[in-house]
Amino acid sequence: MTSPYAETEALLIAKAQKGDRDAFGELVRHHHPGVVNVVYRMCGDVELAEDAAQDAFIQAWLHLPSFRPGTSLRNWIYRIAVNAALDVLRREPKTPLIDLETLSMPDSAAGPEIVLLEKERAFAVQRAILSLTETNRSALTLREYGGLSYQEIAATLNIPLGTVMSRLNYARDRLKELLAPQLIDMEIANG
Amino acid sequence: MVKHVTPWLNAYLDGELPDAQLRQVEKHLAECDECQAELEQMRDLSALLHETAPADEFLPTERFVANLTLNLPRQPAQSQPRKALEIGWWLIPVGALGVWLFFQVTFSLSSVVLTVSETGLLGNGLSWLQGDPPQTRWFSMAMDLFGGQIGFTGKFILSAFNDLSQFIQDLKSRFIWQGLFATLYLGWLASWWLRQSNQAIPASTVPQS
Ligand SMILES: [Zn+2]
Repeated sequence: MTSPYAETEALLIAKAQKGDRDAFGELVRHHHPGVVNVVYRMCGDVELAEDAAQDAFIQAWLHLPSFRPGTSLRNWIYRIAVNAALDVLRREPKTPLIDLETLSMPDSAAGPEIVLLEKERAFAVQRAILSLTETNRSALTLREYGGLSYQEIAATLNIPLGTVMSRLNYARDRLKELLAPQLIDMEIANG
Repeated sequence: MVKHVTPWLNAYLDGELPDAQLRQVEKHLAECDECQAELEQMRDLSALLHETAPADEFLPTERFVANLTLNLPRQPAQSQPRKALEIGWWLIPVGALGVWLFFQVTFSLSSVVLTVSETGLLGNGLSWLQGDPPQTRWFSMAMDLFGGQIGFTGKFILSAFNDLSQFIQDLKSRFIWQGLFATLYLGWLASWWLRQSNQAIPASTVPQS
């Protein structure tokens, strides 16, 4: 299943490695949505995530000459992104506050009470993810929001496959505990 | 009671179970309400995690790319100078080896030529190359003192001793040369090895563990 993009990615990488900014821009265009999704869940804050995404792509640009062609660029960029998010969090020790006002919801057509309820729920989710340890959060984020396979997570975080599984198990068990009220609500809603 | 498949539900949900295990888990799920409920809860959790979509809060991709490409620092052009450095590092031992080989060959060749010309096989054709026959100081002194008194055998024995001590001197200088090059070479190897082990991945790309 090689998409036209996958075919050109190797070419774009080769160009960008020689300093071609437009080629790099094309690579960024392709990976930006995924990276933003991952760093947002890692940071729990739009502003911090924006910084982390910017840092990640600048780091990627600077270290691109040492990127080994033939390996997955996505895994490589996600690895940089996860670490950029952790760096940003360390740089800004304030607990990221999720602004209920700006938190966006998929269906804004719903009534104001429901919107507020859903925002609260989203807030709880983000807080729960943030309470995970960095290592467990990285594994969970890459799986849930990055859509990486276990093998890809292992390669990205440079850990054994078994460790990926145990971190995911642990992270999800913890989230189930922390989000028990929300899960009960869902169960009731689903009947 | 059958053993529950709870530990495998994560991998089951993520589509990461190998076929054999997958069939086993599916078979169990069909029979066990407890594990079925557990799986349902995990599906709910995944849905809950994906409920909020932050996408429209962020800079649109196009604007992000435009901003970023403007702010990109100069990429360290490390590939070319690095390569040159790499070649330089290889030239040093290769050069040292070359010099060593040159001396080895010159030494051996000159001793071969000397031996050959001493036997007179080449006539006087090589006398220009040979110059005066190599003599140690004691040999010249001995020849000066007793040259007239000792016969052919005496001269032959003395000259054999001369050759022997000449050979030992050669050997000494060879040892010095070879020792020098061995030290250079090992020194190079040590620094190369140190350089290699110091070549770490940039800190920001090292995964946290
Ligand atoms: Zn069961």
